[in-house]
Amino acid sequence: MQYCTACQKAIATIVVMDLSEGSVTGSQHVCAECAELLGVAPAKPPKLPSAMLEDLLGGFKPQKDSKGHSRETPQTECCPGCGMAPAVFRAKGRLGCPRCYTTFRTDLMPLLQRIHESQMHTGRLPSTMSQAPAPIDPQDLSDLRQKLEDAVRGERYEEAAELRDQLRRAELGEAAEGEESN
Amino acid sequence: MQKSRSDDGEDPRGGPSHRDFQPGAWLAGTGPESDIAICTRVRLARNLAGFPFAPSLDDTESERLYAFITDRLAQPGLPVRLNVLDLEPVDELERSMLVERHLISRELASSTRHTGVAYDSRESVAIMINEEDHLRIQVFSSGLQPDEAWARMESLDDTLMQRLPMAWSEEFGFLTSCPTNTGTGLRLSVMLHLPGLVWSEEIDKATNVAQKISLAVRGLYGEGSRALGDFYQVSNQITLGRDESEIQGDVMLAVGRILQWEREVREALLRGAARVKTLDRVHRALGTLERAQILTSEEALGCLSALRFGIHTQLVEGFTAGAVNQALLLSQPAHLQRYTRQTLTPEERDQRRAQMLRELLGCTP
Ligand SMILES: [Zn+2]
Ligand SMILES: [Zn+2]
Repeated sequence: MQYCTACQKAIATIVVMDLSEGSVTGSQHVCAECAELLGVAPAKPPKLPSAMLEDLLGGFKPQKDSKGHSRETPQTECCPGCGMAPAVFRAKGRLGCPRCYTTFRTDLMPLLQRIHESQMHTGRLPSTMSQAPAPIDPQDLSDLRQKLEDAVRGERYEEAAELRDQLRRAELGEAAEGEESN
Repeated sequence: MQKSRSDDGEDPRGGPSHRDFQPGAWLAGTGPESDIAICTRVRLARNLAGFPFAPSLDDTESERLYAFITDRLAQPGLPVRLNVLDLEPVDELERSMLVERHLISRELASSTRHTGVAYDSRESVAIMINEEDHLRIQVFSSGLQPDEAWARMESLDDTLMQRLPMAWSEEFGFLTSCPTNTGTGLRLSVMLHLPGLVWSEEIDKATNVAQKISLAVRGLYGEGSRALGDFYQVSNQITLGRDESEIQGDVMLAVGRILQWEREVREALLRGAARVKTLDRVHRALGTLERAQILTSEEALGCLSALRFGIHTQLVEGFTAGAVNQALLLSQPAHLQRYTRQTLTPEERDQRRAQMLRELLGCTP
């Protein structure tokens, strides 16, 4: 008998094996619930019910210490890109915007490890393409968009027009500045 | 509000109405291993930098994003010509038809955001706009053709990356709304018809093989755990830490084993004492399709599955795999209602389904 390596609470009933070049290179014992959560169970697509997710993120949710007092989580700031609160991310297991990947990094890493048994991308990227588009800093774009909204709200239309042009150029990437691609 | 848009020459209405009853090219019943492998589907999840992910968009941003994406998709130069269908004015029945044709997901069909789908006339490419991710790009191939499907996807993705600012990082790859898609954003699915394994009750062993290597196996038709009509799809679950060709290798390894297994079982079902039982099963199904007056969706799928098996094992003649695939599509509730041009109660549906199948398969007395 073995406990589930994901939630460490239930009895493991499913063995998930890793396969590489046709041979088994690793295995993980999980319970049926976690198997479904990890997307290796049969019927349904992977779901992240909040209770299970909190289990997965166990180390980071507020926990009671031995005297029954709550401990604070390390991440308490909302995402500056989309305003998502850490509690919302923990409850839903969904990210609100690209910047959330940085904001909720501490919570995200163990989650990625559980889902993919990896924390690092190895596939293709725009930067490996022959005609690579310029990398875009999502922070710049959302900052610009925020400024634009402020300008419109403040009825500073000249500034807004300028910002709109800037935003449009930024969205296209530096490479496409000026003439639009055809 | 933008109306559905169409490139020159094509049906200006866009949408599925002008080819309602012909299935997409991926249901042609052709291609490698098509006696078992119905179709190969490649899906990429992509998001635009600077926008919140779709579920976090407010109405204004959602409109802006929709307009921005559709504008870029409409520019010439894509490897395949796509028509953009704005889903806002599309009613529930039409949306269900698009779901049944695999052009959009159930989630997109029921979304309250401004959504759309861009697809080609052969329905071999479909790009969902404002689903859980800003873009869900799908490429379909008939039979087992992962290389061909991936090649088309790669060139489409290359072009899209040059005209749309995608959200990505060196560390996490493509950034997606749900961490289950982070990295490659790739889901490779192969849809398989496995009557041999189901009838011989070997199917659980076969699906276990796939699950043990972190692949998902689910029914192609029907919701929940039950696979109706012996149709299954096998797809990867891991998207981070394995590159595109490794993911393809994982899926193909399991699919290869399942194909071999299904063939062995099919041979066994045609030998000795098993043969007469198999013949009985196939001909009973054919008899039902020819004579039944009431057919539930479940029973129809079962009979069509048996007929498809009979065609590929040369037990019955006079039917094509393509016709059976078309019948499978038209048996779905939304297509059936469109075919009969009226809203039907479930009882009426079962009656009309039986009638439609007799007409379609040329069994009208
Ligand atoms: Zn568990
Ligand atoms: Zn965010």
